[in-house]
Amino acid sequence: MANGIIEISFAARGGQTAVTASQLLAQFAYDKGFKDAIAIPIIGAERRGAPIWAFTKISKNKMIKTYDSVVNPNYMLIFDTSLLEIPNIRNSIKEGTILLINSNKPIDNTNLPKNIKIYLVDATKICIDNSFMLSSGPILNIPMLGAFGKITGFYDLEVMENIIRDEFGEKRLSKNMKVAKDAFNSVKEE
Amino acid sequence: MISKTNNIIQKRETKIIKGNVAAAYAAKSARVQMISAYPITPQTTVVEKLSEFVDGGEMPGTQYIKVESEHSVMASVIGASIAGTRTFTATSGQGLFYMNEMIHWAAGTRLPIVTAIASRGAAPPWNIWADFSDVINARDTGWMSAFCATHQEIYDEILMSYKVCEDYDVLLPKFVAYGGFILSHTSKPVIIEDQDLVDQYLPPLPDEKGWPQIFLDPERPMMHGNLIMPSGFYSEFRMKIQDTLMKTKDKIKIASKEFEKTFGRSYGNGLIEEFNMDDADVGIIIYGDLALQMEQAVEELREEGYKVGMVKLRHYRPFPTEDIRKIAKKVEVLGVMDRATAFGSPTGGPVSGDVLSCLYDTGITTKVLPMMAGIGGREVTLVQQKEELKTLIKIKETGELPNNLIHGTLWDGILEVK
Repeated sequence: MANGIIEISFAARGGQTAVTASQLLAQFAYDKGFKDAIAIPIIGAERRGAPIWAFTKISKNKMIKTYDSVVNPNYMLIFDTSLLEIPNIRNSIKEGTILLINSNKPIDNTNLPKNIKIYLVDATKICIDNSFMLSSGPILNIPMLGAFGKITGFYDLEVMENIIRDEFGEKRLSKNMKVAKDAFNSVKEE
Repeated sequence: MISKTNNIIQKRETKIIKGNVAAAYAAKSARVQMISAYPITPQTTVVEKLSEFVDGGEMPGTQYIKVESEHSVMASVIGASIAGTRTFTATSGQGLFYMNEMIHWAAGTRLPIVTAIASRGAAPPWNIWADFSDVINARDTGWMSAFCATHQEIYDEILMSYKVCEDYDVLLPKFVAYGGFILSHTSKPVIIEDQDLVDQYLPPLPDEKGWPQIFLDPERPMMHGNLIMPSGFYSEFRMKIQDTLMKTKDKIKIASKEFEKTFGRSYGNGLIEEFNMDDADVGIIIYGDLALQMEQAVEELREEGYKVGMVKLRHYRPFPTEDIRKIAKKVEVLGVMDRATAFGSPTGGPVSGDVLSCLYDTGITTKVLPMMAGIGGREVTLVQQKEELKTLIKIKETGELPNNLIHGTLWDGILEVK
């Protein structure tokens, strides 16, 4: 936690809605009283399925002055277990990083640092059960953020509801909140 | 006929938005009456957001036109501006290059056009990431140019720009540039100001007659920009642009002061912003997003006991010669960091070359190190910026320049090439 700034990285595949997640997380935290927040998507030649990165930095007291990528994440949200097979994603998990992984089965942590905490949520199933889908697949960002709110306490479902209403409108609110709550209630430590 | 009534209801609020969206909000707050749009990465979401505003009825009376190229963007903006409207557009990189002929025309016609530039590297090879070579390429056209370091500054600088550009003693166009992706696509809290306050700050919109200096009237047809013989007033028109731009430095300072009075946010004297320079013996001049992160590097080295400071260059044209001389006198070693190339120039960097040239014949003996980083959006980390400052400290301690300079300039963070 450099200078009291909490750094979060998102590892996902193109189409898994992680860039929007990084932006929403900044909004949730700021709305919950954090002093500053920045969402940093890493933009390149995106294609569906290709690994992508996004980062969010949030700070309770200090202004955030950096635009650089997160290299020592306090938290990491992994949208797809297959990403753990990619060396540079696996290597970006540092001692002390807290992981939130979208998975329906336990994680093989043999190649991961020892001093890490892993939380699991089956965000894919929650999306499928609630038909919370795009043509590219499940809209994972909302359940992932619901689970993240639960494990960190950085924001609550009420904040999510306010921001989601502002961003996506009243019509989409109930379905968004349903998947957020399902994840909030089902995330568990491995 | 473009309607002059524009009933925007906006109360002061903070939104977490992308730099591009901040630029769009600024255009909306400024009640621009005409927007011309052609998409180009990383600018596209500026004009996309504005099309949403116009389509959603949030900018009543604003004319939004889609054209077939950037050249036509500027041509149409010139037409609307000369007819007497507040105009806005945005572009990037190759789009700005394609616009170039019309860029000259806008300044020569003395039109107060404000254009946002989400800066990107020049192709080839294709590059869409932060690099100010695009706006630097339009340096000698008579446009003013400002660099932004934060999301809020994009919004604020666009408002200040209309104030300066539309001043009757100025009447010149301006670029407001910010790093592509680093600012255009990242999101931070931005205060969108109360519409009443913005209206109070900005000059009134031009009335039916248009700008005070141009009475474009279909009943009384006239020509603008006609061929002029060398014995005509061409030389004088050019001299006047230079004369005005130099005098505009004071206008920028006044607009910045009034901005602080109205909205409570300040940006140094408008031309430059000093940070920890008062007792510094080593300093660095830097612009754009890199300047914000450099503040953090300066703070961290201060904690380690080093007397370092930095100067954020806010305006490149007009160049703040007097301010640069003053700050150069304060320090023993001064780094000048460019995120843009000026090939074949004495230093290879546009700003470092200008800094050196304005120190000529002033008796200032400060050692100046031209530096380059972040070209084509190459990531510049905080750790790297601290090292850059340490390089300057070492020059102060040893009196010797680093031995890895390339034609006198330190290119930081570049890969080894054979």
